[in-house]
Amino acid sequence: MTTPPPSSSRRRSPLAPVAAVLAAGAALGLVPAFVSSPYALHLMVLFFLSVIMGSAWNLIGGYGGQYSVGHAAYFGVGAYTVVVLLQFRQVAPWWGLVPALALAMALALVIGSITFRLRGPYFVLASIAVAEIVRLAALNWKDLTNGAEGILVSDIPPLVVGGKVITNFVSKVPFYYSGLALALAVVLVTVWVERSKLGYYLQAIREDQDAANSLGIPLTRYKNVALVLSASFTAWAGALYALYVGFIDPATGIGLDISVQIVLTAIIGGIGTVGGPVVGAAVLVALSEALRANLVTDLLVKGGLVRETSKVGLFLRENLAHAHMLIYGLLVALVILFMPEGVVGALGAFARRRRQRLAREAP
Amino acid sequence: MSLFLQSLLSGVLMGAVYALIGIGLTIIFGVMRIINFAHGELVMLGMYLAYFLFTLAGVDPFLSVLVVYPAVWCFGALLQKTVINRVLNALPQNQILLTIGIGLILSNTAMLLFTSDYRILTTSYSSSSFHLGGVSVSVPLLGSFLVTAAVTAILYWFLIKTDMGQAIRATAQDRDAAQLMGINVRWMSVVATGIGAGLAAVAGALLAPTYYIFPQVGQPFTLKAFVVVVLGGMGSVMGATVGGIVIGATESLAAVYVSSGLKDMVVYVLFLLILLFKPAGLFGKSRV
Amino acid sequence: MSPILDIQNVSKFFGGLAANSDVSFSVEPRTVVGLIGPNGAGKTTLFNCITGYYPPSRGQVVFKGQRIDGLTPDRICKLGMARTWQKVRPLAKLSVLDNVVVGALARTRSVPQAREVALEQLKVVRLQHKADHPAGGLPIGERKKLEVARVLATGPELLLLDEVMGGLNPAESEEIISLILDIRRRGLTQMVIEHDMKAIMRISDRVVVLNSGEKLAEGLPQEIVTNPAVITAYLGEAVA
Repeated sequence: MTTPPPSSSRRRSPLAPVAAVLAAGAALGLVPAFVSSPYALHLMVLFFLSVIMGSAWNLIGGYGGQYSVGHAAYFGVGAYTVVVLLQFRQVAPWWGLVPALALAMALALVIGSITFRLRGPYFVLASIAVAEIVRLAALNWKDLTNGAEGILVSDIPPLVVGGKVITNFVSKVPFYYSGLALALAVVLVTVWVERSKLGYYLQAIREDQDAANSLGIPLTRYKNVALVLSASFTAWAGALYALYVGFIDPATGIGLDISVQIVLTAIIGGIGTVGGPVVGAAVLVALSEALRANLVTDLLVKGGLVRETSKVGLFLRENLAHAHMLIYGLLVALVILFMPEGVVGALGAFARRRRQRLAREAP
Repeated sequence: MSLFLQSLLSGVLMGAVYALIGIGLTIIFGVMRIINFAHGELVMLGMYLAYFLFTLAGVDPFLSVLVVYPAVWCFGALLQKTVINRVLNALPQNQILLTIGIGLILSNTAMLLFTSDYRILTTSYSSSSFHLGGVSVSVPLLGSFLVTAAVTAILYWFLIKTDMGQAIRATAQDRDAAQLMGINVRWMSVVATGIGAGLAAVAGALLAPTYYIFPQVGQPFTLKAFVVVVLGGMGSVMGATVGGIVIGATESLAAVYVSSGLKDMVVYVLFLLILLFKPAGLFGKSRV
Repeated sequence: MSPILDIQNVSKFFGGLAANSDVSFSVEPRTVVGLIGPNGAGKTTLFNCITGYYPPSRGQVVFKGQRIDGLTPDRICKLGMARTWQKVRPLAKLSVLDNVVVGALARTRSVPQAREVALEQLKVVRLQHKADHPAGGLPIGERKKLEVARVLATGPELLLLDEVMGGLNPAESEEIISLILDIRRRGLTQMVIEHDMKAIMRISDRVVVLNSGEKLAEGLPQEIVTNPAVITAYLGEAVA
């Protein structure tokens, strides 16, 4: 089962992790000065978005133990609010973000208050049902959302500060920095939450809800706090994604696939850890691109496992690129069956066992 | 009034098929306490099997049930033995994640193998109907209702009158006690999954003449099956039977009186209401 | 002095079964009340009703002069009543120290301050050397001590201990007994469910006996142990 690592292996002072995160941020901030390949920048934007979404889920799912498989609802609300206000009311996205976040947080409060009294699998089911309701609303409210056609984002207004034009949003660089900033923010928030009263209470709720309740923890209130926090970051990611890709529709914005991807990012890396969603994001983005660029098929051919011109070879070359969700499904199953602590958790367990073995062997 | 009767009737006929799907889901939950999120994909499997049996061998979908059931029974049993059995003691959230993964694997493999083209299985009676006292009755729907009724009757007989059926019920009621009584509970889990999967696939085969067949068709069935099972009470076969008919009727009436695009939403809202106010369902005992 | 806890005609029904039937008694502050009875007598059910795990079907629970039946467990904990569980419930993936920190956070918002309180309580139960161990890996005796430390950290005035000596060896039970007496010396009130009769005799100021959901007897330990009705109720049970 997916499990977080024991807290004894976690360091107390936030100084080290914060310093590490800021250092990484600074290094990443310098990258666009040296790297101009749009493809590389594109991958990084996807990576940052994945980090944001996975870490946001991690707050309520990994630390709080409430496995929402309906986070696409918040993603979609963020995306649609910003895009609708931009395209139909000419509201610049940085202002549109305010109502987007407010709506997402309000939605989270409503959903939380209704569903948090449900336990385990029933909560999971309810979260899926809610997300489907939101998606169907977007699909059917054609006057607001264009229904299944979706909305194209044309011409984001230039960002002007103090008379100077900062960016026209034509290149990928502004999205790179927006993604980086938000990813740093959500990771730092995770570091803070982990060491705060909120973090302790969430983990207590995750470990044993009734025991937590008997220790003075008001369950729904703390779950709601985590969910509101989680929803706002997820909505922000949705808005960023829609602006970056330039298009939003109910299937790609509020579908179950998105919710599953979000959960997968967190559990692959390791839920309940700061680094887990980051590792998960790296793995998933790398994997997606390897699939899309047919690298996997190339590897199989080079390794002599498959002949390029054989039926299998041709089949793979044509289809593996689109087999995203199939691979994701396999990954979910494999992680749950064999690596429930995720990559970070497994590494931590390995390190712990090594320490214990060395301690035993010491005279 | 006749519009009401009409939509009520087709809702009930459809509801029987929902009931069949729900019964499969509730049996799996009853015996293993696992919520099978891949259930809709098993329906999809039945649909494709019926489709290929029809187009390649000319087998009528209603007859294909005789092949579909054992084939998917074996598939379900295999799935339980190799994969699902490993997570019997895991956190329920993780069990559900695993079945979500399995569902994704199934639907996307179908997409890989069969492409996402919509397929249609047209039999000679696919669009026939006859009139009965002012309402029009769709022949394929009536046929699936009758087959469903027969299958359900056989299932009830199996659960109540046979040794294995009683063993399954005992395991569902109290796994530890059943084990102490000498019942091989691991085998019961395998059998129950087989039955659940088989029933879902049979439902798919019965729906094949009237539904578009494509890889993602399973997903709404999964969610609807959950509504049926929660309404009827997790683990209650009787509950799933009643629940299926109720949901079928609700959906049909919603399509007519609310809007066809929103009928699914009505069902999901009903789902949330049930979870909130009567989580044990009509016949259920388990605590939510 | 008015009682710190007053249980008035509490009944709890599950379907047709009366797990508690018209139970009434009160607990004086700074005392230890032993709650005994054969298995299935309704002792843990009574604890659950008192602490808000579920509300009583009938009757009232008055704590420090305030009606608390119907309140949620977290509110009741904040008011000063804490309970341990018959089947221990450690927060398994958290460290021993963090378990107690969670308890201490009931009284303070500051995590560093909570950690200090937590370390204090770990010293009281003599578990401080295992502060960084994952709670799930402890042997049963230490898990019980951890649970006591955890509830002590919530700063209660009334402590409900549910079979805290269950499954312990004599040395461990001895530790728990001196812990209970120590807690009593510090001015807290306790209600203790126990099967170990010798322990009950040593720690209790008063004893309440439940049988089949009803209160069978109440009084000083020596009175209870010689009460013929009590002895009959226990006939067939191994009396320690």
